[in-house]
Amino acid sequence: MLLELRDYMSDMKRCARCSLCKWPPLAQVKSWRFSNMCPSITKYNFHTYSGGGRMALGLALAEGRLEDITDELLNIVYRCTACGACDSSCKYNSELEVLWPIYSTRAYLAGMGYFLPEHSMIIDSLRKEDNIMMKPKTDRGKWAEGLKVKDLSRGEKAEVVYHAGCLYCYDPELSIIARETVTLLQKAGVDVGIRGSQESCCGSIAFQLGFQGEFIKFAESNIDDWNAAGVSSVVTSCACGFGIMKSVYPLLGKEMKFEVLHITEYLDRLIKEGKIKLDRSFTSRVTYHDPCNLGRKSEIYIPWKGMEKKVLGQFILREPEKVIHRGWNGVYEPPRDIIKSVPGIDLVEMERIKEYSWCCGAGAGVKQCFDDFALWTASERIAEAKSVGAEAIVTACPWCERNFKDAIAASGDDILVYDVVELVKQAM
Amino acid sequence: MGIPRDVYRSFESVVGPENISDDPGVLTSYMYQPFGCRKGVWADISPAAVIMPSSTEEVVAIARICNRYHIVFKAMSTGWGIHNVPGVEGAVSLDLRRMNHILEIDEKNMFAVVEPYVICAQLQVEAMKKGLNCHIIGAGSNTSVLASATSVAGYGPDGLSMGYSGRNLLGVEWVLPTGEVVKLGSLSTGSGWFCGDGPGPSLRGIMRGWEGAWGGLGVFTKCAVKLFHWNGPPQLEMKNVPPNYVLKEPIKYYRASLFSFPSMEKLAEAARKLGEAEIGYFISRLCPSFVGLQMAAGQDFVNTWNTGMLQEMLKYAFLFVIFANSEREFEYQQKVLAAIIEETGGQISPVSEAPEMQEQTSTAVIKVDAVLRSCFRTTGGFNTSFGAMDTVDLALNQIRAGTELKNKYIRKGALVDDGGDNSATLVFDQGHLAYTEMLIMYDHHDDESAEGAFQYLAEANQACLDKKLGPPIFQISQVGKGKHGAFGPACFNYDMWLRRIKKAFDPNDTADPTAYSPPEE
Repeated sequence: MLLELRDYMSDMKRCARCSLCKWPPLAQVKSWRFSNMCPSITKYNFHTYSGGGRMALGLALAEGRLEDITDELLNIVYRCTACGACDSSCKYNSELEVLWPIYSTRAYLAGMGYFLPEHSMIIDSLRKEDNIMMKPKTDRGKWAEGLKVKDLSRGEKAEVVYHAGCLYCYDPELSIIARETVTLLQKAGVDVGIRGSQESCCGSIAFQLGFQGEFIKFAESNIDDWNAAGVSSVVTSCACGFGIMKSVYPLLGKEMKFEVLHITEYLDRLIKEGKIKLDRSFTSRVTYHDPCNLGRKSEIYIPWKGMEKKVLGQFILREPEKVIHRGWNGVYEPPRDIIKSVPGIDLVEMERIKEYSWCCGAGAGVKQCFDDFALWTASERIAEAKSVGAEAIVTACPWCERNFKDAIAASGDDILVYDVVELVKQAM
Repeated sequence: MGIPRDVYRSFESVVGPENISDDPGVLTSYMYQPFGCRKGVWADISPAAVIMPSSTEEVVAIARICNRYHIVFKAMSTGWGIHNVPGVEGAVSLDLRRMNHILEIDEKNMFAVVEPYVICAQLQVEAMKKGLNCHIIGAGSNTSVLASATSVAGYGPDGLSMGYSGRNLLGVEWVLPTGEVVKLGSLSTGSGWFCGDGPGPSLRGIMRGWEGAWGGLGVFTKCAVKLFHWNGPPQLEMKNVPPNYVLKEPIKYYRASLFSFPSMEKLAEAARKLGEAEIGYFISRLCPSFVGLQMAAGQDFVNTWNTGMLQEMLKYAFLFVIFANSEREFEYQQKVLAAIIEETGGQISPVSEAPEMQEQTSTAVIKVDAVLRSCFRTTGGFNTSFGAMDTVDLALNQIRAGTELKNKYIRKGALVDDGGDNSATLVFDQGHLAYTEMLIMYDHHDDESAEGAFQYLAEANQACLDKKLGPPIFQISQVGKGKHGAFGPACFNYDMWLRRIKKAFDPNDTADPTAYSPPEE
């Protein structure tokens, strides 16, 4: 299996308990107000909610120190967006894995039958309807009704398959963005198709909640489908889907005969090739929110397997050398380049960006199970956006957009939220 | 050992149900404390509950409940180290994380008022916006400003220009173990936070003394600390990617230089003279492994180490940083520095003059953001020894004794071979004081290594006594009678006074004495 708690014993045993996981890398702290990094510890405060606290929990479980799996413990385990901020901050000064022990702790608990009631509903929906939205599979393709686009599930062929993802398929307010994306691609001359009602969930939430079997089933099925369709590229607008396809799918060992791209990478390419021209002015001061799964979590993850040996007395050396994922190799510039290419746009950066970006709050089942926490996390980001004078937050993930919009609706705020695609559409 | 439900509910009524927990998962996570643990990562004793107050009033209420029901409490700020965990069964932990505000930065009078969970990195960035800077302890800017100022040691290499945490402490708000609130210095007379020693009672010697009571005398809920002039930009922008963030723009009138000397004595002489000349922003000995681990990990480090280059280059070396307020002052400081280096036979390392090295060192020097690399990166097992703050000569004696002793345990294979002398830091408080620690790295999950490290620490403590090197900074748990009980008889029985203080200020034995001193019997 992919997630084995015992594979991370060494990491969990060697956490220094320094609390660096709670803040941005110290060199990047810019103010007191926005000096937190992990939504979970910031909201709930007990050390247990931090990356280090979660490592301690994982170690305690693996060592059999915790016999009672209480409701409170489960709430702690799952009140975490698995945004990976702790992991990036820790790795500024170390080579320890933090995020994967968090995933593995969930897998360990799920393997023993410990999860939240909401998770049962999500996983049931996944098993029965191939989506996490608790909606019928037959409705999955409705977002594209009326679009003249190839349906690869019916045997049509295209160079590119556009994977909309569960939220774009089923959220009527957001579906329009998926439609606009397909239209944009077609206008740019891209040979694009979709899989309509046969599109399946990417499995990201199953993976992040620790349901490995379900994840593997969906991931393998998607890879098989895309291989069979003969596409050269899988393009998705969903950062969560992109992150899991890019960073975890390759671990399954199945040949992937296609390239995985996020829509921002693809559009950026088309703009730079002159296939999309942005000549209509759109005057606004905007800021860009880095979705975690498009940024620090989209680095291809290479789990370390090997031997620890000692040199220089007790110095622990890993053989082979461990590949360190510090988060800086995510997709950061393409969305920014697109935004900057829109005439009239004034892009202003927030304090926490790129590998040390603050999460939107929606990830890893938090939106479904702890909406108050999700909205609070989003409200923190909205406050940060407002602090730099932004009139709008631009993002590149439907989950971020949904959560920001919900938080704004709840607070009565007047800041706007756009997907990058919406900006491009307006500027064409 | 849990606490009775009615007592739990009393605490709950103070902080709310979401801010108290005795869930086994929560308590276990608080027991994870590798730094200071004899072996492994788990403390022997679990807190009975963790309580998170948000205000002085809540701390007072908790202390009163503890007195009423004979519950011991122990407060922590950032909670790094086993001394933060209660050392007695049935005690409650007070995690002060919710008390995390910078209450005031008084630009004119150059001080800040902070709550316990404000870390140095936070205060520094806010102070810089007002042309001010704060002292950061050697452990790094991830540590609490208040904790080192009121309760624990407080040395850092920028202490050359910015004193040390105990020196920088001004007004204090202190919740005694009984729940009574005491205000110290000018705060007690309604005159604000500007002075720790009056008008009004000082009690500095009692509440903190030389190294602090480590949480054994109640809870410090607010304090003011001195700030210092900052001539750099209001915000330090970074470039590059992790782990190599460096300043985007060089800072004006800033220069970091690495000097090496023919002997330790010459190095110490230079450091003392630089302190006396009252120049410089930062000084620290740079030991070979410390520097190497700042820059590389794993095989990269080992390869470099095996060339012997670091050991040769940094045998007797320190990093000295000038950061002046004007061109004229910059020139003056450089002239004084050059003269002292010449007098003491020092040599400048051309490597440190390279723009890349200036960039890299400036981030670490100003932000103190990367200390972890040099202490925990090899194994996760780290401890420190010696560390009495005194004179340069005493620091030298500590280094000699520590190196000899460490080499013995390195030869046994118990410790990481860092060359033996892995001592950090030097003069501070403008040169009239000096400080050094002897760092060790070992595998805390390896029985032989952990036991070897423990024996080393015990021997180091004994060496502090036998060779009259002053009480060590840590190692509280390793000394049978407690640090003060062991060292008191060698130092005018000062431990007797600590026991009296403890008895007078904590008549019900409510504040955990483990890391401080038991009361007078």
